[in-house]
Amino acid sequence: MKGSAMTATSPTVNTVLGPVPADDLGVVAVHEALLSVVPGAEHAYDLSLDRAEVFAILTRKLAAFRNQGGRTIVDSTGMFHGRDVRLYEALSRSTGVHIVASTGMGPEETLGGYFLTPQTNPPTPWPAQKFADLFTKEVTEGMVVPRVERRGPAGLVTTAADHAGPTATEESLFRGAARTALATGVPMSLRYGADAVRDLRIALDEGLPAARVVVGGLDRRDAVAAGAPLAIARAGAYVALDHVGSEDDAHVSDRERAALVVDLAEAGHVDRILLSCNAIGVAVGLPDHDLPYGYVASTFVPLATSLGLSDEDARRVLVDNPRNLLTVRSTS
Amino acid sequence: MRVNTVLGPISPEELGFVAVHEHIGYGMPGSELDTRWWKTPEERYAETVPKLRAFHEHGGGTFVDVTGICNGRDVDYYKSLSAKTGVHIVACTGFVGGDTALQHFARASVDYLTRQFVHEITVGIGGTGARAGVIKVGVSRGGRLTELDKRIYRAAARAALTTGVPILTHLAIDAENAIAIFHEEGLPLDRVLFGHADDGVNAEQTRDTWIAEQGGRVGFDTFGYETELEDPPFWARPRKERLDHFLRFTAVHLDKALASADANCSPLGWPGVKGHTVNYLFEVLLPDLRDAGWDEAAITTLFVRNPADFLTIQS
Repeated sequence: MKGSAMTATSPTVNTVLGPVPADDLGVVAVHEALLSVVPGAEHAYDLSLDRAEVFAILTRKLAAFRNQGGRTIVDSTGMFHGRDVRLYEALSRSTGVHIVASTGMGPEETLGGYFLTPQTNPPTPWPAQKFADLFTKEVTEGMVVPRVERRGPAGLVTTAADHAGPTATEESLFRGAARTALATGVPMSLRYGADAVRDLRIALDEGLPAARVVVGGLDRRDAVAAGAPLAIARAGAYVALDHVGSEDDAHVSDRERAALVVDLAEAGHVDRILLSCNAIGVAVGLPDHDLPYGYVASTFVPLATSLGLSDEDARRVLVDNPRNLLTVRSTS
Repeated sequence: MRVNTVLGPISPEELGFVAVHEHIGYGMPGSELDTRWWKTPEERYAETVPKLRAFHEHGGGTFVDVTGICNGRDVDYYKSLSAKTGVHIVACTGFVGGDTALQHFARASVDYLTRQFVHEITVGIGGTGARAGVIKVGVSRGGRLTELDKRIYRAAARAALTTGVPILTHLAIDAENAIAIFHEEGLPLDRVLFGHADDGVNAEQTRDTWIAEQGGRVGFDTFGYETELEDPPFWARPRKERLDHFLRFTAVHLDKALASADANCSPLGWPGVKGHTVNYLFEVLLPDLRDAGWDEAAITTLFVRNPADFLTIQS
């Protein structure tokens, strides 16, 4: 185990193979998906999942990432979207890439009825504290292989709202995730609904420091138009421009994204920027999003540096910021 | 003439005494993430096998499991239970209600849902090779068919027409809207069992006689969920009140009646109800019916003939 050389005081990050020294992380892809399965798709008559093939595809993609300088990937899909902890352990051992897996859930549409219409009268959806308890145990006791066992600790608690949200239950998810981040020291990822600043405030209202939150989706056109990236950086949270490589109705282009990075850096917020692709290694029941995990470092960062981002700042964004985010905080 | 069981098709003559609405283990989707409900496979078999063995020894022939897709339905497990206990187990396709259908299915069209159900009935459920013998549909919490519930009902009607297997409903409230869909799809109502007409929450709002008059079958299939239990669930009902209701209904519509206990052998995502098992049918209901003057022919109609008619795949 890599953890054997650590002392009790070394800063560490939770990976699927256990805590590793934070300084080992290297270049991190912070908002990605390894295996992504729409809830229920595992029962679909017309979809199948060949574990050996999934393993081969993910191995190839992680090896390519490593060849482009990548050392750590964060699967930020949460606990109910195809997360397969044992597969990720084998992948990490096989490729040498650190894999940080996440707990958490959202948006509401992806939740099972257990959380939304429980067998009580009336069927009141879960409140924040129950989500907090569920997610916290995934950090303190280990991530679940459903109805079988717990494995290694989650390294991130992730939540998301519908783009028109948050709904009442999504607000409970935000609050529950914030409480888990506070209780365990892992960071919180918040993919906002309609208003990033308002949604961040929900997490902060739970007493979580802004520096323990990464707000995702800030390269959405609505976020950029509202000035949300700068506002979130000023509030002290991490700004994830996490659809690098995508240009569509919902997201700005890489050129606009790169200009945004340069603007944020010039405004003194380079230490708040995170870049990622939301790439999907293997998608089941949803469209592929087949970008190389190394796309940020190999393609996007050169574009940003051509627009004026310094090499030193690029290194901060790729290495220092994700390390600082993912380092588990002491809760004592 | 055949019925799909998890170990393959059998003749309806082999079904014997049928418990038509039961669960090996039921859990809401997502409950598998919450370790508070987890049990080891050793515990699961230890809780389940004695109940099925007792069912068999009482003279039980067939156990219809109506645990829908996404609710912990586990067909390989059912196959092993059936093979080791001698109880025929019929598994279902479909959903207990729209609020138990996960995102992949909640977004799906009627056509897709129809294909899913037909595949599970004619080809098999997942990789198990076992074919579903019934289709489960139901009313979401709230008491009215939601748009998703209606999509599932319509797909079930089409799959029932295509394959010949029958439909069981979770709850018989809002039956007017359900029957309207079955009429639109051209499904004869004797292929539908409108379930839970007897439960403590919904009995008052369920038009059981009206459903029977339309040609539908009516399920008194929560027998044993009684307020007399040590820790009754919210849908419990006084024992005598349910029995009287059942006797009133069957005095006129015995040919439309089916009875079951809706018990869990080993619940997957909830505490279950202590003291309630499928064997209530033998241990309490049959003596109650005999005390009420039922002869063996009436009991055979209720537990053998009616379910055989219902479960037999129509060609």
